[in-house]
Amino acid sequence: MSFSSVFQNIIIWLEVWALLIPIFVFLKKTSQPVYVQPVIFYLFIALFLNFVIILIWKREILGLNTVFDNNNPVYNFHSIIRLIFFSVFFILLKQPFLSGVKLIIPFLFIFFVVINFIFFEDYFQTKISSRLHTVESGILLFYCLQFYLFRLKDEQASFVKMPDFWVVTGLSIFVVISFPIYLFYDRLLNEELKFVIDIWEVQKAAFLIFCLFIAKAFYTNE
Amino acid sequence: MSDIRLQVIIFIAAMLLLFTSFLLAFIFNQRKKYQYQKEVQSLREQQQNQLIEAAVRSEEMERHRIAETLHDEVGAILSSSRLHIENIKTATLDKRDKELHAKGKELLDEGLKLVRNISHNLHSNILKEFGLNEAIRHFFNMTVKGTLIQVETDLDPDYKTQQADNDISIYRMIQELLNNILKHAHPKQIKIESKLKSENLLIAIEHDGLGITQKQFEDLRYKKDGLGLKNIQNRVILLRGSINFSIINGKSKVQIIIPNKTSNHE
Repeated sequence: MSFSSVFQNIIIWLEVWALLIPIFVFLKKTSQPVYVQPVIFYLFIALFLNFVIILIWKREILGLNTVFDNNNPVYNFHSIIRLIFFSVFFILLKQPFLSGVKLIIPFLFIFFVVINFIFFEDYFQTKISSRLHTVESGILLFYCLQFYLFRLKDEQASFVKMPDFWVVTGLSIFVVISFPIYLFYDRLLNEELKFVIDIWEVQKAAFLIFCLFIAKAFYTNE
Repeated sequence: MSDIRLQVIIFIAAMLLLFTSFLLAFIFNQRKKYQYQKEVQSLREQQQNQLIEAAVRSEEMERHRIAETLHDEVGAILSSSRLHIENIKTATLDKRDKELHAKGKELLDEGLKLVRNISHNLHSNILKEFGLNEAIRHFFNMTVKGTLIQVETDLDPDYKTQQADNDISIYRMIQELLNNILKHAHPKQIKIESKLKSENLLIAIEHDGLGITQKQFEDLRYKKDGLGLKNIQNRVILLRGSINFSIINGKSKVQIIIPNKTSNHE
């Protein structure tokens, strides 16, 4: 096996092994605040989903005879799961800022998902739902911004020792990069297929940064 | 490069730039807040120390005033009374009056002794003249005199007074602790030792009576009648030291750690 093929495999499996970093830190430091629990659940579910995504994608190379030959529904499901778990995370932070809006958002999102996939898009289509992912990253971006705004207003300043700061910063970096990619995804797919593949690697790098920040959050917590 | 590619790259770059600027501004703001909080905290601590110091000083002054009044006024009156009683011619008295005269003299002697002891305890003469170790030894021996309690003192001879005020605070804490032990713990043996260790003075009082744990100490010092414990804690704060109560294998121990080289009364 050549160096380039090893490197390629590392990149392919990035979305799986990147998740193992915060999981490993969590297993070393199991005592975490309650509000971090949705993030922990998300990590384990994301690990399973990403593993399935790669298994379906590389089923022929791996010699697997899977029933499913399309991993895009799993990507869509991952997007829904991510938003729900991070909504719970932001609600559990109990920041007295836009609390009503934060409580309604997950329900509105689920309503949007149902309407979108019943009337406008096919859930099992052969590409990821750009609309779903854009809305999801847009909402997550809103959550992150309101977190920082509240912290700016707050009189306390002990953010470095707080796991929530690291989780939100990691999530912010991920969604800041992902949002434009998802927004232009359909157009790029039609016009610049090669560029989509390249830019997806950037998105993977953002996902790695996201995982590293979550690991830092778990590590920071005493 | 096609339009769409350029748009995506510019969009991502702009978003990243905006977010980085926002994050930097946020971190800068938080650091400023943190600095401000630290300054407020430090001012608060300084103020608290000044208040404690003022309270401790006024308490010490009051002790001196009471000690001097007892010694110079009450003591003088008692001494004069004793002289007067001594000058009474007992030869003409009958047996009953002789007995009453003797009893009165005895009670006056006892009163004089008591006034002198209280006055010495309140005053810190021995401490000033002979140093902390001798004052502790004298206080322990005087306090348990006439009881069945065994006292052992093992005080580090290398200890030298850095600041007289600090010694008074340490001495007062030990006085308060010993009085508490005798009053509440009912011990048979008490041991006090001190040791100089890496610029700290370690004082340990160990006894076999009914002691308290650190948790009990924390609870008791917030109670209304826990004035003595509050005073101990105030003096510990003033000296920037620490105090720890523990019970291990039936032995109760109070350990006080006081920094010996630093100036505490700023």
